[in-house]
This record gives sequence, structure tokens and C-alpha cells, in this order.
Amino acid sequence: MGGFRGWKAGALAVLTALFATGVARAEEPKVPKKGGTLTVIAQPEPVILTAALSTSSPTGFFSGNVFDGLIDYDREFGLKPALAESWKLSEDGKQLQLNLRKGVKWHDGQPFNAADVKWTLENVWRKYHPRNQALFANVESVDTPDDHTVIINFSKPSLAVLSSLNSNGAQVLPRHLYEGTDILNNPYNNKPIGTGPFIFKEWSKGNHIVLERNPDYWDQGKPYLDKVIYRVIPDGGARTAAIEKGEVQYAFFSPVPARDAERLSKLPTLKVETKGYEWLSPWLFLDLNVEREPFKDEKVRQALYHAIDRDAYKRIVWFGFGKPAISPVVSTLTEFHDPTVPTYPFDVAKAEQLLDEAGLKRGADGVRFRINLDYLPYGEEFRRSAEFLKQSFKRIGVEAEIRNQDTPTYTRRIYGDRDFDATIQWYAGFADPLVGVTREYNSSGIGKNIPFTNGPGYKNARVDEIITLAQGSGNQEERVKLFKEFQQQVQKDVPSLPLLELEFFTLQASDLNDTVTSVDQIYSSFKNAWYTDPSKR
Amino acid sequence: MRRLPLSGIHLVLRRLLQLVGVVVGIATVNFFLLRFAPGDAVQVIASEAGSASLEYVEALRRQFGLDQPLWWQYLNYMSGLARFDLGYSFRHSMPVATLILDRLPATLLLMTTSVLLAVFAGGLLGILAAYRPGKWQDVLISVLALLCFATPLFLIGLALVVGFSVWLDWLPVGGMFDIAVQAQGWARVLDVARHLILPALTLALFYMAVYVRLMRASVMEVRRQDYVRTAISRGNGPVRVLLVHVLRNAALPLVTMLGVQMGSIIGGAVVVETVFSWPGLGRLSFDALVQRELTLLVGVLLCSSILVVLVNWLVDFTYAVLDPRIRSSRS
Amino acid sequence: MTLVVTTREAKERRKLRLSPRLRQMLRSPSALIGWGLLLVVLVMAAGADLFYPEDPLAMVAEPFLRPGADPAFLLGTDMMGRDIAAGIVHGARASLLIALMATLVALVLGIALGLAGGFHGGAIDAATVRLTEFFQTVPPFLFTLTIIAVIQPNLWTIALAIGLTSWPGLARLVRAETLRLRHGEMVQASIALGAGDWRIITRDILPNAMAPILVSTSLMVATAILTESALAFMGLGDPNVASWGNMVGSGREVLRTDWYIAALPGAAILLTVLALNLLGDGLADALDPRSRQ
Repeated sequence: MGGFRGWKAGALAVLTALFATGVARAEEPKVPKKGGTLTVIAQPEPVILTAALSTSSPTGFFSGNVFDGLIDYDREFGLKPALAESWKLSEDGKQLQLNLRKGVKWHDGQPFNAADVKWTLENVWRKYHPRNQALFANVESVDTPDDHTVIINFSKPSLAVLSSLNSNGAQVLPRHLYEGTDILNNPYNNKPIGTGPFIFKEWSKGNHIVLERNPDYWDQGKPYLDKVIYRVIPDGGARTAAIEKGEVQYAFFSPVPARDAERLSKLPTLKVETKGYEWLSPWLFLDLNVEREPFKDEKVRQALYHAIDRDAYKRIVWFGFGKPAISPVVSTLTEFHDPTVPTYPFDVAKAEQLLDEAGLKRGADGVRFRINLDYLPYGEEFRRSAEFLKQSFKRIGVEAEIRNQDTPTYTRRIYGDRDFDATIQWYAGFADPLVGVTREYNSSGIGKNIPFTNGPGYKNARVDEIITLAQGSGNQEERVKLFKEFQQQVQKDVPSLPLLELEFFTLQASDLNDTVTSVDQIYSSFKNAWYTDPSKR
Repeated sequence: MRRLPLSGIHLVLRRLLQLVGVVVGIATVNFFLLRFAPGDAVQVIASEAGSASLEYVEALRRQFGLDQPLWWQYLNYMSGLARFDLGYSFRHSMPVATLILDRLPATLLLMTTSVLLAVFAGGLLGILAAYRPGKWQDVLISVLALLCFATPLFLIGLALVVGFSVWLDWLPVGGMFDIAVQAQGWARVLDVARHLILPALTLALFYMAVYVRLMRASVMEVRRQDYVRTAISRGNGPVRVLLVHVLRNAALPLVTMLGVQMGSIIGGAVVVETVFSWPGLGRLSFDALVQRELTLLVGVLLCSSILVVLVNWLVDFTYAVLDPRIRSSRS
Repeated sequence: MTLVVTTREAKERRKLRLSPRLRQMLRSPSALIGWGLLLVVLVMAAGADLFYPEDPLAMVAEPFLRPGADPAFLLGTDMMGRDIAAGIVHGARASLLIALMATLVALVLGIALGLAGGFHGGAIDAATVRLTEFFQTVPPFLFTLTIIAVIQPNLWTIALAIGLTSWPGLARLVRAETLRLRHGEMVQASIALGAGDWRIITRDILPNAMAPILVSTSLMVATAILTESALAFMGLGDPNVASWGNMVGSGREVLRTDWYIAALPGAAILLTVLALNLLGDGLADALDPRSRQ
């Protein structure tokens, strides 16, 4: 892209250049080209480079390049072979057989085999992986009849397991480097040895992580890029500038303010991509503490829901990214999402009426009651969300006092001390509601000081029962029915108000191709990505 | 006038004792202060993971030693400190000392450059203004200094990025070196220097403003002194008078100020390192704070306090060299 | 009897000595500009509810109205559709309030410790000097951040945290002044007349040390305003109030597309800090006997 002076002049120059390449591209068949270095923004910097031990997103963004999944996704939530060439779930849903790819080697040259999978499942996923502990809770035994076959036996049907066998959900670690060590302190956690398309080279904390092409990768010919560099850039303004200047060619998870994205997307050198996040199924919500007045009354909760103009919220706070939510199971999960749940359209009069009915009349100062409003401190959008809701509630006579706090204070307050009235939060729902959605409503998680569980303190016997049933059911149709009933119930009770199906965006150089090939792309790898003209990169 | 110096060994011993006091004080105060902060490192890691189970949280807590009673943690920490061991960061899986030493050069480079820039440019402009009091040079310099002093540091930084990196495309937007190029030798020095210009300038401008004002006032003051007038009347040239008589005395308040401001410069570095993604201690300490990496944070605070103390020793030393009165009392 | 007469005389003397200084201070051009600017800010702070009776945080119009695009919103609106002019006027109040409270905390601590050390000397002095040095070795901004992380940011805690970390300089100054005056004629005379410690401190020392304290107070207010904005930049502001720091902090996100959202409150900060500095300069000049010649 070369150093251009002034982005306007530069834009013109590049526009001409791109016009030329654009024409050329239309004539040539789309054959990936080898070479080039890809610089990516890693923000925030990962804590650890091994996703098997941390499900945090910064680790996930990185880790999929070094480690393969057992199974990959396509763009439609369909499954594709990866380390497992094929798989079979028994009729009763209690036995899963994985047939592993032959000839795969770890980056240190050792062969990858069934013992690695068995060992990781038993010693890492079931002990340390936050999500998999529950997902693999019913595993009775793991058999490895030969080096390339793994048979997992469950005590109860476990259909949700198949939704989480990608490199983020089921990352296999090299047994020969981990067995018999203190797993959480193993030095290889931060200089990972995987089987993936890129080999870890260097991590300079606070600076960068460098990956190089794996020449012996099992997927012949891939990856195309020579090098992938992750750069740490803590400030949003600096990120925008680095992307705009072309110092960085790829940045995900809404790396810059949406307003900047809108501007940058008009540059011919850049494009905005919102695909590749589907596997996360993220939704943003307002938790109301149902253990406290006035939110013990469902009318009050419904009134607050009616007071929020979610279209305006999406437009003003998220600059148009996202989709107003009606259920915690997002609409992109077409199989599970129930569009017929009770809805609470924006209606100030209705909200006021509900509050009157609940006996919360306006006082002499026009105020019905006062609440504290907390928000997850994950960036400007969350703070602005709190500001937006404060103003929305003010209209119906509810005064909200926003509390700004850092993440540890926040998690302690919500999930430990439970000293809050209402809080803004987002969760990833993942491909199966059992993995990410039900934790928000399951009564077993209340007040145990475990982050990201049941924030409202909601207890409903039927909902708990549905979750248990869905967990043990071997029949997908029945599970879908259960999850629809679940959505009807929680949207009737509204302990938590789903506000927005979040839409994250990626900014990338427009000469970088095939960056999104799966629904879990951001947790997957750059093995398919290639530059239109690698010699310039 | 200062007390007559004790013998050299005594002086060094007293200083060392003072340093030990500072270290113990800071370690103790911050250790307990930070324990009042709600939430701990394990909760941060668990919430970053997006999901966690009770077993996972408890396993981490055991591993970090956070399940031990507070006094035990404190004794552990202090006994480690006595062996020059700053503890271990479980989050980074690294000894705290290694993490700090990793970042220290970047911070030292940034601060030294900024301080030198601020002192020399500030001093020079101050002298210029003092020699032309009331003239346009003086007014211009004074107004510029006031503006630099009154603008929030991060606004200056952001403005410089937009101007010099994005519009003019002369300098990189952030970081300390170009990773893709991996330059070696002189090319690397040049590369780092290019990355250093904007952050150092941002940090320097504020302090430069302070020194301009200080230098101007003190040069004007010194020029009124009898010995300077005498020197001039004896026919010494203006440059010689400036260098030999004025500067030496006028620089004293500047040097004092530098010692006093050392702490605040480190604080400013937090903001500047954030704006320019400069991989230094300031940013490390802010991250450690919001991640409740208390061992690391206490380590960084200790390190910066020691730095402040050391700089102040240096200041005292410079003072002694510069101040003729102290020198004469020694000889 | 005699004592009363003496102090009254002393007061007269002081008045005579101070008033030409004050007059001088008012006359210096830079101080005049400073007064003028500060007056504007004070009027904004005092009359905020009169000029803009609405909640300055209310979303009143389309987001991103440029300044001048709509006569109803002179300075335009921010990314949430809030009136920037209203924010700046109300922000004057919040920012000054935070800065003044912080300064008050620092003044109380700094004067108390400086006086205690300088007046009593001995072990008390040694202790206060150690304490001051200790606080000066910890980088103040880092310390402020830490305190706020422990007690969480709101208007009061921000002021408290800034105040708690900005007193050491003042304490040193007060101690030096006290030491100077303690051995001066006036105090010795009062001691000879049998005046108590408290009386000496309040009648002889404090009023005479007031001048340098005032100068450094004006600078402390200025620094507190800057610190508040830096805290907001690091994400530690109080979102319930429209303060200049908060406005700049949130505006920086859209700096590249809508620079005025951060620049306007930034200019307000700049002008206020400038005013306080000019005032401090004027004050210092007026109090410096040499510059009166």
C-alpha cells in the first residue's frame, strides 16, 4: 500500500490502483497466492496462548492458528472434518466415535494420536475448561482402540457436545509435553506447540506475537501466508490510525469505534466484515435483580422493558450495528430461536401504566423510585448503553444512578455480593443454548461468586427442569421443543431483558481474501487467507 | 545551607536506610490498600474467560495462593522481598521481576528522552525569554508554554498522532518498533527512534512548559545579582557571562524541580504509553491494577518509587556540583 | 489588654502591606485576562441551571449535529444527541467542584502537616517530613488510580483521591514558610507576650504564609482539572455528571470524524487552566517585592 501522504490523496491513488487490480481480478480465476505477512491487532492482549485453559476471546482469536479443532464449521453451522476425519454419534446419543486423521504431527515433530485426545479430555477439558466441565460432565469412559480412534462413552445422551468440538471448544494439547506437569503452569501454555497451520515463534509481552507458516501442515498447500503478526495496541484512536495507515491489515471484534468503522469502510483499501461471529451467538441484556424490590414484581420488569426504544438504542449507541433482541436465543440460531415469545415494544404510556398498577406512583418530584445501574466495563458502548438506559428510565419516573467500576469490582458486585439493582451485560450463547444461554437462568449458579452465571437471581422450577431435560435428551426435536418452552417462560417472566443481538465487525484490507470461511471464523485460523498481490505485503 | 556532609560511608548508609524504609513502607501500604479493592485476579480471569465453574475458580485461587490468610500472604511477600524476590505473576506465568525488567528499558528510554528534551528545550527557551523580557520573543514563548501547560496530555498526544502519523504520514502511530521488518543494528536504533519521537514529545511538552517558566524567572533573577553585574562590568562577553555565571545558578531551581516532578512524570507516562501503545511500565501498572494483579502492581510501584529516590540522589549530587556554596562548604 | 492592642496593630500593618499588592495584582495585564476568563467560568458554573434548565445529559436532538448547524444547539450535539453547550456550561460546575474539593482536601492536609512539622520541629517534624517524602516517591497519578480502583469513581471519591495525592508539595512549602516565620520577629514578639501556639499560628504564621499558599492553590486547582480529565481518559470518570473530563473522554472515540465533540470541552479545560495560571502568575508577581520596582 506504500506510504501515501494525506488520506484523501492516498485514497485517490489507491482507488486508481485498486480499480486496476479489480479489473484484473475479474478476469483471473480466484487461485490463492502464496506469501505475504499479515499483521493483526490483538486487543486486549491475551493472558495465555492456549485456549484449552482459557475461553477468553483474546486467547481464542489467537489460539486457533496454532491448534486445530477436532471438527471445523462451514458457513452454515454444518460440520467439516479437521483433526477428526469422520465422526459418529450413536442412536441413543450416548457414544461418540471420532476417527482421527493419520500422519498429523505436532510442531515439534511428534505424532498426533488418540492418546493426546483422551488425555486432554480427561485432564484438561474436564478439569480446567470452563465450558467443557459441564459439557463433558457425563463422560463415563474414553476408549482408544487404536492410535486413530477415540470412543467417548456418556452416561446420558450428550448432543450438545458436537456443537463444541472446534479448536476453541475442544483444543487438544500435546500429551508428551503436558503429562505429569503442573498443567496451569506449564511453560508451553505461552509458547504453544500445536498441529495447526501456523507455528508459534515469539511473544513479546505488551508488543507482539509472531507466527510462521507451518510447512508440514496436513491440509496440503495451506496456509498461504508466510507470517502472521499480532500487535498489541491498547488505545482505540491509535488502532484506528494503524488500520487507516495500513500498518495493520486485519482487526476483529469491533476493534475501533463504530463511527470510525463507518468512515474507514469508505476507503477503497479497507472493508468492514460482520460475518464470522455467528458461532458466538452473542446477546446484550439488562439484568434486573429479582431478589430485591422493586424488581420482585414482574410488572415493574415489564414496564422497564417497554420503556426502552431498542431501535433508537441500536442506532445511537451501537451506530446501527446489531439487531434488537426479543429472546436470549438469537435469531441466527434458526433451529432454536422462538419468534413467538411475548414481546415488549417501546411504549412509554404502557410502561407508566404498569408501574401505576404495581403501586409505584410518581412522587412530588416526579420520581417513582431510584435504582443503581451497573454496566460491564468493556468499553465505550457499554458506558453509553448505561447513559441511554438512564435517560429512558427517567422518562417513566425511574431515576437510575450509573456506577462506573472496573471489571473485578463489577464481577464481585454482581455475582458475589449481589449488591446491585440492574446491570448491563452480554454473554455468548454459542451454537447450542445449553452451552451459553441457560447459565443465565439456571438457579444453581446464583450468588456463588462465579462470573457470568445467573445475574438476576432468577429461580423457576420449570426452567431448571427444562435445562436438566435438555441436557440429558438424546432427541434433537425434543430438545428444540424444550428450548422453545424455555424461551416462552423466561420472556414471560423477564428477569433479564434481552436488548440487542450484538453484531461485531472486522476491519480488513480489501486485498486480503477468504478471511471468513466458517461461522466460528474469529476462533478459527487464517489458513485460507491470501493476498491478491502478496509481493506488496 | 545544608548540614556539613558526614563521612562518605555514613552518607551512603543513611541513604540506603532511607531507601529500605521507602521500600518497606510502599510494599506494606500498597499491599493492604490493594487488598481493600473489591474482586481479585481470579475473578478477572474467570470473567474474561466468559464462563467459569466453581471448581475452576477455586483451583485458580489455590494456585495463586489467594486462599491463604492475608497476614500469611503479607509475610510471604515481605520475606520474598528480603531476598530481592518480587513474587510471581500467575496471570502472565512469569516472575514479576522478569516482567518489570522486560518493560523497564522502554519506560527509561521514554522518560530519559522526554526529560532531556524538556530540560534542554525548556531551559533554552526560558533563557531566550529572559534575555528579551517583554519583547515578542518573550511573549510568544510564554504564551506557548502556558498553552502546553494547560492542554490535557492525551489531547496533545492524539493531536500529534492525527497530524504527524495519519495526515502527514511521517511517523508511525504507535508501538516501539516495526515488527514486520525486524531491523538489526543501526537500522533498529533508527526504527526505535522514529517510534520514540511522538510519545517523547507529548510527555516532554508539559514539563518543558514548566521549565521554560522556571528558567525564565530564575535567569532574570540571577541577572540582577551583583556578581553578574560585576562580571559584565569587567568586560566579560555575554556568552561567557551566561555560561559561567548565569546558567550555573539559574539551573538550580530547574534541577530541584526535576527531582520533585519525577513521580509525576511516571504518572504522565501511563497516559502517554496508552495513547502510543508504548510497551512500558506505566501501561503495565494500569493493566495490573484493573486485572487485580496485585503482586505485579506492588512490584511496579516499588520499582517506580526506587526510581524516584535514585533520581533524587542524582539531583542532590548535581545540586552539590552546581551550587558553589555547597562546594565551598565541602572544600 | 496590651496583647489585643498589639495584634490589632499587627493586623493594621498587614492590611497596609497587602492592599497595594492586591491592587498591583489586579492591574497586571495577565492577571486581568485570568480574572476575566475565570469570571466567565464562574458565571457558567453559577448560572448553569438558568442558562440550561434541562438535564445536560438528556438526549435532546439528533446525534452529531455540527456546531452552528442548528441554531437551537449552538455548539452542536454529541454522539448521543446531547447538547454540547449545555454540557460545557454544566460541566464548568462539575469540573470546578471536583477541582475545588480536591484542592480543599490537599490544603487541609498540606497546611496541617506543614504547620505541625514546621512549628513544632523535633520528632513531629521528622515524622511529617518522612511522610511527605514517602508520598512524593509514589507517582501521584498511579496512586490516584489505585485509590479510585479501591473506592470506585464518583464525584466525591475522584475529588478525594486527587486531593489525597496532591498535598505533599504544599506541605513542604508551608513547612518552609512556617520555619521562616517561626524564627522571625513577629512570632518572637508574640511568644514574648505569652501568646499560645494556636494564637500564633492563626494570627501570625498563617496570614503571613498566605501569599505563597494562594499562588500554589491556583496551580493546584488547575492541576486537579487536568487530572480529572486524565482519569476520565483512562475510563475512570463519574458517568452521572457532565464534567469536561467526561466529555473529552467520550468524545475522543469520535475524534477523527467529529473532532468538535472532544475539542470544545477540551478548549474549556484549556481556558480554565490558563486562567488559573495567569492568576497565579499575577499573584506571584505582585507578591514579589522586586517586580514592583
